[in-house]
Amino acid sequence: MIRTEHLSKVYRMGKIEVPALRDVNVEIEEGEFLAIVGSSGSGKSTLLNMLGCLDKPTSGAVFIDDVNSASLSENELAEIRREKIGFIFQQFNLIHSLNALENVSLPMFFAGVSSEGRMKRAAELLVKVGLRERTYHKPSELSGGQQQRVAIARALSNNPAIIIGDEPTGNVDSETGNAIMSLLEGLNRCEGRTVIIVTHDTEIAAHAPRVIRMKDGRLLEE
Amino acid sequence: MKDVFLLAYRDIKERKARTSLTLLGIAVGIAAIVSLLSVGYGMEQAVTGELTEMADTIHVYGRGAEELGGFSDRDVKDLQRISGIKDISAVTYETAEVEYRKKKMPIEVVAGDTKEFWSIYEGVGLKEGRWLRENDYGGCVIGHHVANECFDDDLHVGDKLEINGDKFVVQGVLEKGSMLISGDTDIFVTLRASKDILRTDDTKLILVRIYDVDEAEVIADEIEETIDDNHGLDDFTSATTMGSVIEQIGGIFGIIRGVLVGIAAIALIVASIGIMNTMLMSVMERTHEVGIMKAIGAKNRNVLSLFLLESGMVSMVGGVSGCALGAAGAYLISIGISAQFGMDLPAIVKPDVLLGGIVVAVLVGVLSGLYPARKASKMSPVEAVRYE
Repeated sequence: MIRTEHLSKVYRMGKIEVPALRDVNVEIEEGEFLAIVGSSGSGKSTLLNMLGCLDKPTSGAVFIDDVNSASLSENELAEIRREKIGFIFQQFNLIHSLNALENVSLPMFFAGVSSEGRMKRAAELLVKVGLRERTYHKPSELSGGQQQRVAIARALSNNPAIIIGDEPTGNVDSETGNAIMSLLEGLNRCEGRTVIIVTHDTEIAAHAPRVIRMKDGRLLEE
Repeated sequence: MKDVFLLAYRDIKERKARTSLTLLGIAVGIAAIVSLLSVGYGMEQAVTGELTEMADTIHVYGRGAEELGGFSDRDVKDLQRISGIKDISAVTYETAEVEYRKKKMPIEVVAGDTKEFWSIYEGVGLKEGRWLRENDYGGCVIGHHVANECFDDDLHVGDKLEINGDKFVVQGVLEKGSMLISGDTDIFVTLRASKDILRTDDTKLILVRIYDVDEAEVIADEIEETIDDNHGLDDFTSATTMGSVIEQIGGIFGIIRGVLVGIAAIALIVASIGIMNTMLMSVMERTHEVGIMKAIGAKNRNVLSLFLLESGMVSMVGGVSGCALGAAGAYLISIGISAQFGMDLPAIVKPDVLLGGIVVAVLVGVLSGLYPARKASKMSPVEAVRYE
């Protein structure tokens, strides 16, 4: 499903080159639940961005359904993000001027789904994440946990096969964090979606059947 | 499509103060263009409208009349042979000493073949009394200024005054004249009376009225030829048609309009820089938001159209309010000038000027929004989403 080959990423900070990923080879099967752990600066977020087609590698390749992401144009990458991948961020990253329903429907809007279709599905997804009462609330009127639920609903809106979470519980208390993890586990187990999360919290990582560790841009033992 | 509008509208609403200022910039630019153009058109119409009423009149001036003497009786007679001419009035004028209640003033006395001659002043109208008749030897009609300003007391119908020593009775008083045709500072007498009281009986001006306005140029050429032949000179006379005058005036107003629009365009350029600045700031501020949109699958053109729509909408509203402001401004200027200078200056707000104003506004908005929008659409999602 997702596979990397000799994946490397080098960031340039002025004249200095900072290697963020060094020769990473990983294979993730369809329906897997994977946690990537490591200290900050270990390259785990960079790897996640590569897997999620947010960023392009310096060398090596990422294959998504056997398509090399490096060979795709910006628009084609946007299409992959839109159709195959749902993102969840540590900062929730909702659009502040839009209410919960509109935030959830935004990826469908970019996918060209009709207005009625979007509203119907967005409302269903909000019910699914337990936010029926908060449909028309703006992000500023929601708690961190509620915002993250909206973000999860948004990630699901185009029914992607892969859910990618960058520290999805990093900005909520542990109880809410556990609830969010249960939600993600449900998406993995009951719906068969591939879930990949990055975390530095070993307790959160314990929810995942497969954990990979990173250090200095390299993959350590599994 | 509706939803993109909604999204853009939400973003605009989030930044009310800044958006209103940008909008104001556009509105002022457009208002300047609309009001200046409308007043310009009004001015043009005030001038040419009157001329158009006189389109069937050809003014024949003697070019060197002062040195060479005026037109001869033969000139006037010869003109009658030209076909297409309805009537001919010979006009003469000279400054004379006018006395009223012991006060003497030099005033221009004008005399013409009454009936046809008067028709020129029909547009001005009489405030009191009546026009002169051919046999009104001792009668005169006086201009507005002569009646009200020249002497210590106002003159009215029935008052007596002396022109170069001869007694005349006021038979009529003219209304205040317009920009072009005005007898404000003149006294009008019959041609017969003028021969006795003025030191000259030269015809200085011949007014020719024709049947068909379209033939004006041809007849004017014929008139010039006839009179020049009589005097054995190439350029003794010039016959001016209203058509050519209107054309000249139109040309002048074209230049004036160009200058006005040029000035207003500068205002608009300033406004467009304002939009670009606002949109650039907006893009900067929303880098993070653009990153989110791209991360969840927005293509470059989704982002581009969102930002373009936003600047387009702001400038469209600016354009519409600018048009309203400009139209109102034009009417205010018109009222102000009319009150201040006592002339009738209409404001002509043409629909195509309004439409043009809105189109220009949107164009300016979209063009100046293009660079910021492109900048937003080209952002790398991973960097943009990390930007706080």
